[in-house]
Formats: sequence, structure tokens, C-alpha cells
Amino acid sequence: MSDQGIKSRPKYQPIAPDPQGRHHLLVVDGAHVPAEALAEGVNPSAFEVWTVAHKSAVPGSAAMEEEAGAVRVFRSVPHLFSALEERLARETMGLRLYAAGTEPFLWDAYGIGARAGLSQQEMAFAHVGAQARRIFCVHCRTVMEGVTTSIATCAGCGAPLFVRDHFSRRLAAFMAVQIDAEVPGEVPQAEELYS
Amino acid sequence: MTLQFKPAETFRDTFTYRKSPEDILRFPFPFPEDEYMYSVNIEPHVRGGPTAAFQAAFDIDEHYIAECRERERVLKEDPKRCQVLPHMLAAEWDSLELIMESLAQDYPEHFSLTKAGDLWTWVNRPLNIHQSFTFGKVETLPCGPFEYITRQAQGDFTLQDQRDDNLFVDGGMVTTQADWSLEFDIGMSFHEWHGPVPLAHEKGVFDRALKYLLRLQYGQPVRRLNWTMTVNPRLDTSPENYPVWGPDKASVTPDNVADKVHLRVELQTLYRLPRSNAILFGIRCYLTSVADIARVPKWRRRLHRVLRDLHPDIAAYKGLPRFHQMVVEHLAPLDDGTPTSKGIAPDTDVLAE
Repeated sequence: MSDQGIKSRPKYQPIAPDPQGRHHLLVVDGAHVPAEALAEGVNPSAFEVWTVAHKSAVPGSAAMEEEAGAVRVFRSVPHLFSALEERLARETMGLRLYAAGTEPFLWDAYGIGARAGLSQQEMAFAHVGAQARRIFCVHCRTVMEGVTTSIATCAGCGAPLFVRDHFSRRLAAFMAVQIDAEVPGEVPQAEELYS
Repeated sequence: MTLQFKPAETFRDTFTYRKSPEDILRFPFPFPEDEYMYSVNIEPHVRGGPTAAFQAAFDIDEHYIAECRERERVLKEDPKRCQVLPHMLAAEWDSLELIMESLAQDYPEHFSLTKAGDLWTWVNRPLNIHQSFTFGKVETLPCGPFEYITRQAQGDFTLQDQRDDNLFVDGGMVTTQADWSLEFDIGMSFHEWHGPVPLAHEKGVFDRALKYLLRLQYGQPVRRLNWTMTVNPRLDTSPENYPVWGPDKASVTPDNVADKVHLRVELQTLYRLPRSNAILFGIRCYLTSVADIARVPKWRRRLHRVLRDLHPDIAAYKGLPRFHQMVVEHLAPLDDGTPTSKGIAPDTDVLAE
């Protein structure tokens, strides 16, 4: 059940700066760049790095200045994303955006990049950290974070949902479908799959 | 032949949908051989073919008015069944032009289009619509051009943008679908939206189909048939409403199997659009009960053989397991073992009782 054979599931690889790029911005959802996020021989100093401290007492960061090797610290992921939207709105050709972290973080960053006009070729992603999934209930459109099991109860409509491997980059979420729609109550045991 | 529309028939709750004998014989039966496997079964979409369903660019049949009403109902319940990303506006106008011109050419008794420069007048007699508008000016129509025209056509439609050597499903009108969600899939690339289909990726079907479609030429549309099975003549078998229609699948018994289970066929057509270079993908859905198929001797023999020998992964993906065996057992005594001719034509113009 862990490989459902579905091909919309994104594939990831360690990040290396694109030689065609003029400036490289790497965003991560923790305090440091995880070593496994970078390709062999790649140094974090090749990037302007944005990190998340998960703390309130962090002084402001200069989000609008391009500077390779700079490390700018944000208080939370939404704090970082808010600055990223502003930054990308002012960027010019040649910027490359990289993200390393959990899958919802990567594809939220992708959405911000895409809305700012970056193409898929101008972005790269490395999935590191928790495997927990963001899921989208296809029946009631509730989004749930941190799902680690094959079946989860929808917080919006109460349906027992099967977590499919079908992934939407736009929603940054996996599709979840009621598992007992045909015979209500016929719900298999949930398995811990995505921790 | 003049179409007798049946505006009051329903595709939910009371399920009063029925097919006339002519409508059964024009069904685009999807199996050209006694066995089925995924393939790139694409051919030119030219007028004329093995049944009457292939005589027009966009086929209209006796269910036209009822299907448009069903679409209207689905859209009232869930307006997001029609979505088009903003960069696809040129493709919306391309689609409106193609569908209006085709319907007016193929069915002059039902539709007409007159143009005075950019000022166009569209008449749809079955739906009692008379609309003048300025081509290219969205504000002169009651809704977006793609939604406007696809509300007046049978079957679903999607818009594919072509970029980065790929196709992206960047818009659609999807109310009669075989269990896929536009709200979830919109924006996906070709391989992503086909992600859940089993076996075909490994056979290279999608790689070859994508290469073929990237080279699709304006003025040379293509078509293919796809199929599944649906319990009751229900058009809206969306993932969104699966909790509503899912219980139907458990309602099939050996006694009701022939009337309840319907072969659901999609006549899929693909058109390169002239201004946008996008592709309009038509997914025209036809439903015929096993009982009606059994009235055509060739079709009942072949359906029996295809279903009997169907790969279990395909049966599972198409959602057949709860009733698959019941259909095979119903058809087995109706298959006398006679060889069947190649192709999908019914080989008869009268129905058996």
C-alpha cells in the first residue's frame, strides 16, 4: 500500500545551483540548511539562505537585498513566505529559487514562485524531514496537515479518508477520498505510513 | 433523421434516462477486438465512422436537452466544475468559435451562427437561446466564452496549454466525468493528471501519446474511445460526489445487473486551437445498459469476452470489482461462441428482443 504506483507523486533530488542562474535563493523550513538537501560538494555559501527560527524574538531581516552567502532568519514559515512574495514581486530575470524541507513547505514555496512568474525550470526542491502529508478532502475541500496514516478522519465532513498518492502541486496536497463510500462502515485498519 | 429530444429525462434520483432503438445502434461501442488492453488508439476525427455517433464534429443526440439541464444543475451545486486559468482566455474564444461553427455546420436545423465582422449572433433552437455578442469581448456574454458554449454542448471539455514540451490541463467544464476531479487536477502536466492510471505508464502509452499530441495540427483533429462501467445512468460520477453515488455500486444483484450496470464510453476528441495553440479536449460520454447492449448480438458476445478476460488491475482501477463477475455471468449464456467481426460496428440495423 505504501507504493500505490501513482505517477503524479513528485520526485526530488539534492539541490545544486543552476549554472544558468544569476542569483540563487534557498529557503528552508528550519534553522539550518540540512546537509542532505544539497548535492555532493555544494556549499550553502553559494546561496542566499532564508531560514526559520520558530521564535518570536528574531530581529527583522533584509529580505530585499540580493547577497550570495547571506543568511536571513525569519520567525515562522508564514513570516518567510510573506517576505518571499514581496521579494519575488521585485525580482528580475535570472533568479533561481530553491527550497528544502517538508513537502507542504516545498509546494507552498512553488506556488509563491509560480504566481510570481517563475517557471518550473527556475525552481528546484529537496524533500527533507518529516514524511507527514497535507491532504485535501475531495468531497468537502478541507485541508488537513501532518497526516501520517493511510486513513484519516476528515476534520471537515467526518468521512474516513484514504490518502491517495495523487498529488496536486497547486494545492500542495495529496488527494483524500472516502474509503467506505460504497458500503458505509467498511473501513480497514489505518496504517502508520508517513511518519 | 430528425432528433426527438427527451428534455425531462434524468440522470440521478429517478433515473428516467432511456435509449430509443436508434440511439442504441449509434452507440460508439468501445471494443474493436475480443480483448482489451491500454493502447494509443488515436485516429483522425473525420466525419463518418462505424456508428452514427461519428457523423459530427461534436455529436448531438436525443439526450441533448436533458444533458444540458443536468449540467446546469451540477454547476448550480458546484460552480468550480467549470474553471479556466486566466492565461487561457484566447483558448476560450477559440473553443467557442470551433464549437459554434461545428454545431451550425453539422446541425443547421438546430443551430445557426451569423457574423457581421466581430458582431456574432448565435441561435440555439433546442435550448431556446438567441445571443448577439462581440467576438473577443467577454463582457458581451453572460459568462466566460468557454463556460458559455460548453453549457450548450454534451460531454465534458478540458483546455490544454502547451509549453515546456508538455501539456497542462489549465481549464475545463467537467460535470459528466468518470471519477476525476478538475478542482484537484487543474494545472497538472500530462503525466501528472494521468498519474493514477495503472499499467499504461509502464507500457509507454503516455510518453507516446504526449509526443503525438504535442504535434497535433490545426484542422486535423483526432479521436479515441475510452470506457468504464457505471451503475445507473448517472452522468455525474465525480470524486466530489463519490459519497453520493458510491452506494449504487453495492446495489447490483444478479437480478438487476443488466438494467443497472451501464457501459460508459467516452468519445474523446482533440483539436488544436488556432490563436492560442492550446488543445481542446472533448470527452463525450455515452451510457448504454448491459440489457441494451445485449440486443446487439456482436456487442454482447464481445462485451462478455472482454470482461471475462480483463486484467484485474484495470478492473480495479475502473471500479468494477463489486459487480464485474455478475456482468460476466449474465452475459456468458448470451455468448454463443460465434466469431465476431473486427471493429466496433453493430453489424445489424435491427435490435434483438
